[in-house]
Amino acid sequence: MHDKNFMRETLLQGAQAFQAGKMERRSFLALCGIAGFASASVLAGKAEAAASEIVMWNWGGQSEECHQSAIGAAFTKDTGIPLKFDTSGPLQGKIKEMVDSGHVTADVCDADLFDAVALGKTGHLEALDYSVIDKTKTVDGYALEFGISIILYGYAFMYDTQAYPDGAPASWADFFDTAKFPGTRSLYKWANGSLEAALMADGVEKDKLYPLDIDRAIKKITAIKADTIYWGSGSEAHDMIVNGEVSMGMVWQNRGRSIETETNGRYKLVMNQALAMPGAYIVPKGNPGGADVMKFIATAQSVPAQLDLFACLGMTPTNPEAIAQMAEVDQPYSITSAANMPMIALNDPTWWGENTDAAVNAFLAAIS
Amino acid sequence: MRLPLKSGWLLVLPFLLLVGGLFLGPILNVLWISVTDPAPGFGNYAQLGSSDTLRRILWTTLRVCVICTAFSVILGYSIAYAMVHAAGPAQSRMVGLLLISFWISVLVRTFSWLMLLGRNGVVNSGLEALGIITAPIAFMRNELGVLIGMVHYMVPYAVLPIFAAMQSIDGRVVQASRSLGGSGAQTFWRIYLPLTKPGIVAASLVVFIINLGFYVIPAVLGGGKVLMVAEYISVQVLITLQWGTAAMLAAILLFGVLALMFLMSRFMKLSTVFGGART
Repeated sequence: MHDKNFMRETLLQGAQAFQAGKMERRSFLALCGIAGFASASVLAGKAEAAASEIVMWNWGGQSEECHQSAIGAAFTKDTGIPLKFDTSGPLQGKIKEMVDSGHVTADVCDADLFDAVALGKTGHLEALDYSVIDKTKTVDGYALEFGISIILYGYAFMYDTQAYPDGAPASWADFFDTAKFPGTRSLYKWANGSLEAALMADGVEKDKLYPLDIDRAIKKITAIKADTIYWGSGSEAHDMIVNGEVSMGMVWQNRGRSIETETNGRYKLVMNQALAMPGAYIVPKGNPGGADVMKFIATAQSVPAQLDLFACLGMTPTNPEAIAQMAEVDQPYSITSAANMPMIALNDPTWWGENTDAAVNAFLAAIS
Repeated sequence: MRLPLKSGWLLVLPFLLLVGGLFLGPILNVLWISVTDPAPGFGNYAQLGSSDTLRRILWTTLRVCVICTAFSVILGYSIAYAMVHAAGPAQSRMVGLLLISFWISVLVRTFSWLMLLGRNGVVNSGLEALGIITAPIAFMRNELGVLIGMVHYMVPYAVLPIFAAMQSIDGRVVQASRSLGGSGAQTFWRIYLPLTKPGIVAASLVVFIINLGFYVIPAVLGGGKVLMVAEYISVQVLITLQWGTAAMLAAILLFGVLALMFLMSRFMKLSTVFGGART
């Protein structure tokens, strides 16, 4: 067993050296041959979860590199435990299936706080150990029994400055006003955020949104259905905007800044009435890495990790200390900065954890 | 020496077990979930009667599949006809092009269509530059977009069985028809088309059945408004956790396909359609 671990580590170091260009391809392949590993699987970092590592289940892409550099590096330095990734996307159904099957291969899921409510209730998650994790290092109300918010993302909208030269849309009410602001819009197709936006457009106070009045929101959404297209992923939302398919589009707030930069400011992000969403870490029941995962979550709460994640992914820190240390230029893009806080709404994970099925199905019935 | 039948079955047995375990097992599991989750009984199936949404999704799926199948088979028939009658080198070039199109991933196709036919796509900006249109035509992010994407994807699936059926036709029957005074049109409608019927039926079945499970193309090119059953099942499994509803819809698809095969088998021998022994 020790030998296997030794070979695995040697190989991983070899793989890192090879990727960094410090080792020749031939030497690396020879090393793989000696260890009896296929190089592809080592390079991909593919390995079943063992007690000697923590596996994070997330959505891959940039997110993988960012989590590795922001949290993984510090965590491995402190504990000697490497961080690995499963990038297949931890949707509720997949977590439930994994736990029910009894073959749990992930330790921590980069999920939503409403997942913690829904899956905690059905016994699919481990309770968090708040003697290791710090409840005060997150937004009030976002430290729950089965999950804690580490970063915030959110829903906001962007508009085409060339489409509206005589006055820009500034609120969800403008977004839903197709007479005053003609043009195609885009909304998220799985209800989340879209329902809140519709209610704010209809005059509901941003701190009195929950419990959501689904029927009222749907009415508002169907009213502009002919002028709306719907996206299912962040990249689709991005493409709809930069390809000029929409004059106004809902986006994940953390992506707004890069779209502004990419289009040289042609598309502008509106932070007024943005909805802050608690992205959360949750632990599947019976995770292979055991209690060590709690230390990992605590590392993710540290100020350097939080600031690095913001720099890398644009996700807003939840640790108040990290927010306080943020540079002036970053403040407008941090959804809970002092300037943004009075304008934004906060998502209620408990409502969504209990009502996702009704809300999503009502929304799909209305838009299809 | 010929082995008796019994030992032949013995040789096949491991594969039968594999198919039974890995294929029938999960299907039975899905059927089981459809009558037990969230409560035992036929509650999930009863939703079909009570839910307008489910009926509308099934209707959208059926409508899109039927239209797509019709266009794919007509286009596929024309292409196969041209291929069969092309000379050797031209024919292999055509087969090559067809196979290349066959191998392009569905995501690449989907995004290519957006580049070509999107609001600011090549076609719309070209037509606008030429002054033919003043506002972009909405090709994409609607049912038309879904149909364009799906037909493009399915044409190679339609061509191959029809091409095979056309190749096996004895050219002399066409000559015989012409020499007996049949016109070109008569020969086609009364001799050629009936002879290619097994190919058409096979192509229609294959295209229709694959269409039923389409996910990516409707999800992206439909702009969220063309909700077909596969995407709805995926949402119920992954997001709303209503596995009973998802399993019920999957079962409906399965039984729908089986019923279709049964209906077809009343009219023709299915083994002919799928290239089995002719009698």
